[in-house]
Amino acid sequence: MRDASRAAGRRQAETAAQAPDAAARAHLVPALVAGVLMALGLILAWQQAAPVLAAARPAPDAVTAMASTLFFFSTLPRMATALLAGACLALSGALFQMVLRNPLASPTTLGISAGANLALVAATLFVPGLLGFGRDLVALAGSLVAAGLVFLMGARHQFSPFSLVMSGLVVSLWCGALAAVLTLLNDRYLLGLFIWGAGSLSQQSWTIPLSLAPKLALALVLVGLLLRPLVLNELGEAGARALGLRTAELRLAAIAVAVALAAFVTSAVGVIGFIGLVAPTIARLCGARRPGAQLLWSTLIGAALLFLTDTVLMTIAGRFADFLPTGAVTAVFGSPLLLLLLPRLKTRHRVMQAPAPGKAGAAGRRLDSARLLRLLLPAALLVLLLALVIGRSPDLGLRLMPADLAGDLLSLRLPRILAAFAAGMMLAAAGTILQRLTGNEMASPEVLGISAGATLGVAAALFLIAAPGLVLQLGFSALGAFAVLAAIFLVSARSGLQPERVLLAGIALSAMADAVIGAIGAAGDPRLVFLLRWMSGSTYGVTMEGAALALIAALVLLFLTGLCRRWLDLLPLGAAAAGAIGVPLRPARLCLMALAGLLSAAATMSVGPLSFVGLMAPHLARQLGLTRAAPQLLAACLFGGMLMVAADWIGRSAVYPYEIPAGLVSALIGAPFLIVLMRRR
Amino acid sequence: MRRAVTRRGALRLAAGGLACPALIGAAKAAAPQRIVSLDYGLASTLLSLGLSPVAVASGEDWDKWVVEPPLPPGVADLGSSWEINFEVLTSLRPDLILTTPYNAALTPRLEAIAPTQTFGVYTAEGGDVLPKAVAATRGLAQAVGRVVEGEAFITRTEAFFDQCRARLARLAPPPLAMLSFLDARHARIYTAPGLFHNVVERIGLTNAWTPAGSFWGFETIGIERLAEIADPAARLIVLEPVPADVLPKLAESPLWQALPFARPGHLSVLPASLMFGMLNDAVRFARILTDHLEQTA
Repeated sequence: MRDASRAAGRRQAETAAQAPDAAARAHLVPALVAGVLMALGLILAWQQAAPVLAAARPAPDAVTAMASTLFFFSTLPRMATALLAGACLALSGALFQMVLRNPLASPTTLGISAGANLALVAATLFVPGLLGFGRDLVALAGSLVAAGLVFLMGARHQFSPFSLVMSGLVVSLWCGALAAVLTLLNDRYLLGLFIWGAGSLSQQSWTIPLSLAPKLALALVLVGLLLRPLVLNELGEAGARALGLRTAELRLAAIAVAVALAAFVTSAVGVIGFIGLVAPTIARLCGARRPGAQLLWSTLIGAALLFLTDTVLMTIAGRFADFLPTGAVTAVFGSPLLLLLLPRLKTRHRVMQAPAPGKAGAAGRRLDSARLLRLLLPAALLVLLLALVIGRSPDLGLRLMPADLAGDLLSLRLPRILAAFAAGMMLAAAGTILQRLTGNEMASPEVLGISAGATLGVAAALFLIAAPGLVLQLGFSALGAFAVLAAIFLVSARSGLQPERVLLAGIALSAMADAVIGAIGAAGDPRLVFLLRWMSGSTYGVTMEGAALALIAALVLLFLTGLCRRWLDLLPLGAAAAGAIGVPLRPARLCLMALAGLLSAAATMSVGPLSFVGLMAPHLARQLGLTRAAPQLLAACLFGGMLMVAADWIGRSAVYPYEIPAGLVSALIGAPFLIVLMRRR
Repeated sequence: MRRAVTRRGALRLAAGGLACPALIGAAKAAAPQRIVSLDYGLASTLLSLGLSPVAVASGEDWDKWVVEPPLPPGVADLGSSWEINFEVLTSLRPDLILTTPYNAALTPRLEAIAPTQTFGVYTAEGGDVLPKAVAATRGLAQAVGRVVEGEAFITRTEAFFDQCRARLARLAPPPLAMLSFLDARHARIYTAPGLFHNVVERIGLTNAWTPAGSFWGFETIGIERLAEIADPAARLIVLEPVPADVLPKLAESPLWQALPFARPGHLSVLPASLMFGMLNDAVRFARILTDHLEQTA
C-alpha cells in the first residue's frame, strides 16, 4: 500500500510540476481572499487596540487601567478565540466535505454542533457534576451521538449528499429546539441569555483560547498524517481501493477528527453556525481544489472569516456585541449560502423502497389494509374518549371526570384534544405527501421550514405589538408560514420544483429563522418566554372555535389530498416513470407541495413547529405494510391523530398542575422512534 | 422536573370543598372571597391586605423568589404563570382573578371563568416601578374592598423606607451595583426604572449603574462592562440564586480580578428578592440590604 501510495503521490507531484502556473494559481487566489479578510479584520481590531496601546503607561487613572485590562484579558482573547474557533470549524467542515464528497457537509448541517450543545445543556440542567468532570467529553459524547444518528440514516441512502444533509439538519433542528425548551422548562426568571448566549465569543481570560490552541494543533498534525491517503482518496473509490487504500478506515479517521473539532468548539463557545460550511465553500470557489490546498485554505479562510465577523460585530454593535451571539450572526448570513449552493448539489431521485419481502401478496395485503383500517378507527376513537374523560385529580391520582365538573372540564379538554387530533392528522398527511414526493423517509413538515416561518411570525407579533392576543398571534404565525412557503416556491421554481431542492430550501429557511429568532432573543426580554412556549408546541391556547377550525381545515385538506392519491401512488416510481405514465410533473408537484404546506401551517398553529408526528405516522403506516397511497394516508392520519392526542394527554398529566407542551412530548417520543426505525431493515 | 400537587394544595381543595357551600350560602356579593392570583406581587400584596388567595400561579417556586410573606398552607398551585392550569382554576370556582399585562393573552379566557382585574406594574409605557406598585396596591385594595388596609400597608411601607433611610444616613454608604449572574460571563444588572433601583434611591443610596434598562428595570451585560463603574468605592450586590460554577470561575478570571469588585469586601451575595415584584418585595430587599450594609459598615 505504501509503495502504491508513494507512486500515486509522485504522479500527483509530477502533474503539479508540469503545470506550476496552475498550482501557484490554486494557492494564489485563496491566499488573496484569506489575506483580504484577515486584513479587514485586523484594521477593525486595530481600531480597538490603538487607543489602549497609545494610552500613557503607567495608566493615569483607574478607568484607563481597566480599559487596558479589558483589552488584554477580554478583547484580545476574544479575537484569538474567533481565529481558533473559525479555524477549527472550517477544518472540520472541509474534512467532512472532502470525505463525504458532499459540498453541503459541515458541523452545522450535519447536526454535530447542535448535538454537542444539547448534551451540554442537558448536562448543565440535570447532571452539573458531569461538566466539572469534563466539558469537552460531554460535548464530544453529544456530537458523537448526533453524528452516529446522521450517518446511520445516511448509510441507508449510500451517503447520498442530499439525504445526509437532510438527516443532519433534522437532527440539528431537533437538538436546538430541545435545548431551548429544556432550558425554558427549568427556570423562571434567569433564562434569557443562557439559551441564546450560546455562540457568544465574549471572553474574560485566556483560558478558552489557550485550551483550544493545542486541540487545533493536534488535529492539524492528525490531518497532516491523513493528507496523503486523502489525496489518493480523491482518485475515486475504485482507484483508491486499487492502490490498496482502506477507504472505510480513512473516512472514519477523518470524520473522527472533524467531529472532535466541532465538539471542542461547541464546548468552548457554543454553536457558531455555518462557518464550517461557508469557509470551505469560499476556498473551493477560489480554486483550492486539491485536498492539501483545500484543507489549508479552508482553515485559514475560516479563521479570518470568523475573526472579521466578530470584529465587525464588536465595531458596529459596540457594547451590545456581547448579546448578539456571533454564532447566531454567522448563521443569519451563512444559511442563505445553503440556498445558493443548492443548484450545485447533485440530487438523485430515489425509487421508494419495495415493501419488506416475505409479506403476503398484493391481494392479501389489500385485505390486510382494509382490516387494519377497521381496527385503527375504533382505536382512534377510544384514544380520543380516554383522553377526554381521564385526568389528574388534585391529590395526584388519576380519575374519571367527576360529574359535577364534567361541563367545565369537557369544555377545557375537548378543544385541546380535537385540535391535537386534527393537527396530528394534518402533520401525518403532510409527512406522507412529502415522503412520497421525495422518496426520502426523512422528509417531514418540520423540514419544510413552514413551522419556522410561523414561529418568526409570532416573534414579530410579540416584538411589534406589546401584548398581542391569541387571534393576532395566530394571524401573524399564518402570515409567517405563508411567507416562507412563498419564498420556498420562488427559490425552487427554477429547478422545476424538484422535491429535494424544495425541501433543502425549506431547511435553509428554517435554519435562518432559528438564527434570526436567536438574535432577536439575545436581549433577554421576558417576552421571550411566550415565544419559547409557543415553539415548544402546546395546545394550551386552543379555543373551541380554534379547534373547530382546525378540524374543518383538516377534513377539507385531507379530502383534497385524497383526490391526489393517484399522483401519490405514481410519483414514488421516479419522475421519469411517473411522467411516462402521464402524471403532469410540475402541476402535480406544485399541488402536492401546496397541500403539504397548508397542512403543516394549519397544524403548526395548534401544536407548534416541532413534533415529528409528520415523520412518525407515515412510517408506522408503512411498517404495517400499507404501501398504496390511500390506505397509507388514512392509517397515517389515524396514527398521527392518536399520537398527538396521547402526547397532549401526557403533557397535561405528567407534571400536573404544570404542563409539558404536546409538541415537546411527541418530539421526545419521536427521537428514539427515529433511532429504532433507522436500525431496522 | 416539577413536583406535582402539594399536600397542602390537596388539603386546601378539601377544605375549599367544605367551605364553598357555606360561602355561597352567605351570598356576600360585595367583596370577593375566592381570589386567585396569576402574579406573585399581587398575591403577596393580597396577603398584606389580610386576605389569602385561594390559589397562586407557580406556587411551587414561591419560597425561591418571594419568600416573604410566606404562602399560607393550603393555597393551591395554578401551574406555571404563563400557562396556568385552567382545570385547576375552574375547579376552584374563583370569584376574582388577579392578573397582569404580562398575561394579557389569557385575559379573555380568564374573564369567561370569573371577574378578572389586571394590574400593570411592569408595562411597556415604562416609568418608575415603585410608584406604579403603590398605585397598583391602591387599585387592588379597592377591588377587594380593603381600602383602609391598603392605605395602612402603604403607610407602613413608606415608614419602613424612611427608617432604612435614617439608618443608612449614619453610614455614608457607597454606591451599589445590583445584579444577578446568568453565567460566569453575563449578568442581569438592575437599573432604572426598576423596583430595586427605586428602592435603593428611596432609602438614600445610589445605584452605581447609571444607564437605564428595559421597562422591567434591568439590562443584560457582560461582566467586563462592570469596569464602566467609575467610583472605586462602589460595591457589588449579587442576588441569589447564583449559578453554581460562577463564583469559582470568577476567582480564576484575570478580568474579574482587575475589577475593583474583586477586592475583599466589595462583593456581597444576598438572599433572593423578587426583582419583578411589588411593595412586599421592595420591603424585603430594602431590609436585607440595610441590615447587610449596617453589618458590614
